Parts: sequence; C-alpha cells; structure tokens
Amino acid sequence: MAENATETKLSKKTIARAYWSWMFFNLSVQNFERMQGPAVVKMLGDVREDLYPGDPEAQKKMLARHANFFNTEPYLGSLVPGVILGMEASKAEGADVPDELIDSIKTALMGPFAGIGDSLLPGTIIPILLSIALGLSPNGELLGPIFYVVVFLAIMLPLTRFLFTYGARTGASAASALLESGIKDRIVSIAQTVGLVVVGAVTASYTQVNIGLVFTSGDLTIDIASIFSTLMPGLPVLLMAFLAYFLMVKKKWSANRMILFFLIVAIVGYFTTILTVSAA
Amino acid sequence: MTVFQALLLALFGWMSSIYSPVLIGGLLGWYTIGRPLVSGAIIGFIMGDVTTGVIMGAAIQMLYIGLVTPGGSMPADVNYASWIGIPLAMAAGAGEEYALALAVPLSTLGVLAVYGLCAINLFFVHMQDNAIDKGNLKLAAQVPIIGQVTNFVLRFIPIFVIDLFGADLITQIVNMMPVQVTDILQIFANMLPLVGFMLLMRVLCKVDFDLIYFCIGFLLVAVGGMAMIPVVIIALAIAYVGSKGDFNAKNAEEEVE
Repeated sequence: MAENATETKLSKKTIARAYWSWMFFNLSVQNFERMQGPAVVKMLGDVREDLYPGDPEAQKKMLARHANFFNTEPYLGSLVPGVILGMEASKAEGADVPDELIDSIKTALMGPFAGIGDSLLPGTIIPILLSIALGLSPNGELLGPIFYVVVFLAIMLPLTRFLFTYGARTGASAASALLESGIKDRIVSIAQTVGLVVVGAVTASYTQVNIGLVFTSGDLTIDIASIFSTLMPGLPVLLMAFLAYFLMVKKKWSANRMILFFLIVAIVGYFTTILTVSAA
Repeated sequence: MTVFQALLLALFGWMSSIYSPVLIGGLLGWYTIGRPLVSGAIIGFIMGDVTTGVIMGAAIQMLYIGLVTPGGSMPADVNYASWIGIPLAMAAGAGEEYALALAVPLSTLGVLAVYGLCAINLFFVHMQDNAIDKGNLKLAAQVPIIGQVTNFVLRFIPIFVIDLFGADLITQIVNMMPVQVTDILQIFANMLPLVGFMLLMRVLCKVDFDLIYFCIGFLLVAVGGMAMIPVVIIALAIAYVGSKGDFNAKNAEEEVE
C-alpha cells in the first residue's frame, strides 16, 4: 500500500509538471521582498492536487509554508526546487517531515547553489560558449549565433531536467552529496582553463589598438606600428589587455570607470596621433 | 523603421528580457535570444540586414560578456542596449561604434527598469499572500502569470516607442557628427571588448600566473592566425593535462602520507 502511495505522489508526470512550472516562471514576478518566492508557491500550487488530492486545507498549509523568501540560480540551482518538491512529497505521503526542516534545508541550499550556479553558468559556461560563437562570426556570419543557441539548449535542457529530477527523487541528501564531491572542483578547473584560452583568442580577433605614431627626420621615416608588429603581431593589444587586467582585476576598477578610462585614452590618443582608427 | 518592425522588435525584446517567462524562462529567453550576439541576429532579420545585426550584436556582446547578475542585483542591463541600441544604429546606417555608444547609457536605463519592477511587484507578492489566506489556491498559483504584466509594460512599450520615434532623431544626430567624433568612437569601440573580458577574468583567473593561458589563446590567433575550433581543442587538451597533473599530485601526496 505504502509503495503504491509513493508512486502516485511523485510520478514522472508530477515531476515534469513542477519542472516546467519552475523553468518558465522562476523570475516572472521578481521582487525586492521575496525574490523567487512566488515561483516556488506556483510550482507547488501547480502540483497541489497530486500531493494532497481533494484536501484544500492541506494544500493551503503547504503553499503558506512557502510564501516567503527564496533565491537561487534558477537553472543549475534547479536541484533546490527539486529537493523542495521531494520533501513536500514525502510529507504528503505521511513521513515525519517537520515544517522547520523544510525551511532550514531550503535556506541552507539556496545560498551555495546561487553562488556555484552564478559563477558556473553566467560566469563561465555562457561566456565560453559565447566566445566560441564570436570566433565563428568574425564578419557577421550567422553561424556563431546558431552555434550558441543549439549548443546551449542541448546542454541546459537535459541538465536542468536531470538536476531537478535528481533533487526530487533523492531529496535533501542529493544536494549535500553534490556540494561535497571533488568532481565539481575538477570540472570548474577545466572550464576555467578553457575559458582563459578562449578569451585570449577572442581578445586577439576582436580588440584593436592601432599605433599611428610616425617619426620623420629628413628622408628617414620610422613607423612605430611596423616595429611593434616585427616584434610580435598584436603586441599593443596584449599590452593594453595587461593594463586593463591590472586596473580591473588587481585594482578592482569598476566597468564604468574602465569604460571612461578607454574613452579618455581614445580622445588623447587621437589628438596626439599616438592612436589611429585602423592599421596603416 | 515601420510600425510593424517596431512591434516585432518590442515583442522579441520583451520575450528575451530577464524576467520574461514565455520562452522557458531564461533558458530560451534571457540566456539565449537575450544574449546580444543572438539578439543582433534576430534584429538583423527584422531590419533586413542579418550581417550588420550580428556585427553590432557581437560588439555589444563583448562589452557585456562578463556580466553576472547575482541575487537580482543588476550592474548593467543588456536588454534595452540590444533591442534599442542596435535597431537605432542600423536605422541610421551607422557603424557598430554607434550601437556601442547607444548601448552604454541604455544599459543604465535598463537597470532603472529592473529596480522599478522589483518594487512594483511587491503588489503581486501581497496578492498571492491574500489568495492563500482566503484559500483561493488557483489564484495564488496564477500570480506569476498575472504579475508578468509589470515586465511586459516595462519592456514592450519603451522598446516600441523609442525604436519607432527615435530612428529619425538618431539618423540626424549621426549625420551631424564631425569625422573626428566618429574616429574617436571607433578607436574607443576597438578597445571596449577588454572591459567585458576583464570582468570575466575576475572569475576565471585564480592567480596572476593563469594569465599565461590567456596569452596562449591570444598568440594562437594573433600570431598563428588560428580559427576558433582548433583553439578550443588545444584549450581542452591543456586543461585536461593540467587537471590530470593536479590530480596526480594529490594522489602522490596521499601515498606519501
């Protein structure tokens, strides 16, 4: 009997319904007070009849439990709403899951997954894929955008589905196992190295610093740009990149300050003829 | 710029904004067609010049490639930057340096829209609370659908209005610009990708010596003239060997113990 009950509460269909609810609506009513809280309520509200069939009082209590703050990285962190669903399903099946436990596990997981998710997804995976895509479209070709859309979705749709289902099926133990395993560190380290090489490559193909300085004395003309390119092609760009690294990464300059700095460099460089629009 | 074009731009602009649910949330929205490179391609289709759209999208993409939006804080918003900056620059027949020059202030305007939305949506939070209190659970579950109206209004309307009525104004301004200004903007735009890349380096570079990987990638292209795919393969090989080295070193340590 109990086994049958387990299957009906957390069927594939229920997990799928909750997964799509979360994927679509996680940020739909983003707000200062509760962030993604309303989306958690929606997710559980969408499966309320599966968890507590024909019991509006229990359904109401469940939604009221989640009418509070929630914030994580919605996609790689989709494991966390999965875990919430898993815990609520166990509770609905009659297991002794106190409200405080659900609350504390939710709170304990959302922070780490927000941090890991943000640094891994928008901080690493997306920029690497975009850098490759930029490299495929040096002259406005459509290949780059198509590559990005296809590869990103081919990775993210199965991955988020897997994480969410894994969280729902294994409950709270899933998350701690994943947070502690060494595999995560190795993946992060490989991704970061690939990211650095790819960013270096895209810097070379998209950034330009053209030296316009020419010294003339009598018949002798010394073109600084050609001296640089004899030493190493792209040397002025690399030096500018090192300067930007020093100012933004070491000195923690903000992006806006750096943008302003480049504007000043462009103005001063143009009028002193040190910098020019394109290579001579 | 026709009314139909402006409508399409506003529609896609809304669908690709960070808080839009319609395209599987951010999966096909914000993180896919909301990336300026992809937005640029779509804008190019709408405006009838895909190549220019992608070139302008790529320029804006590089500036914001290192953009992470943790916990709802938004340093810059690429939505207006792409969906207003690119169409206006294209309508004016200007180069990507003008798309970039428009993108920077527009991204700040977009941040205001984000913070405005987060404040207005408190109304829907309380609507959901009341619905749960009164036992209207269906309504409680629908609040994220109803509450999307804030985001729709804050994205669709500004993009539509500015694209439709701003095109002529921007064209006049661009045509009035002396050649010096265009040249300076070009020199500026050529260096600007470094800002986005360095934001990224804050995450990727654990120690200064990691810059060597950046230099390898740079040299493969600047000196070797290599295309992107071989660069990625070499990068994977370097990363694999490196992580294997770390792994072996750890094992060796454990054996010594």
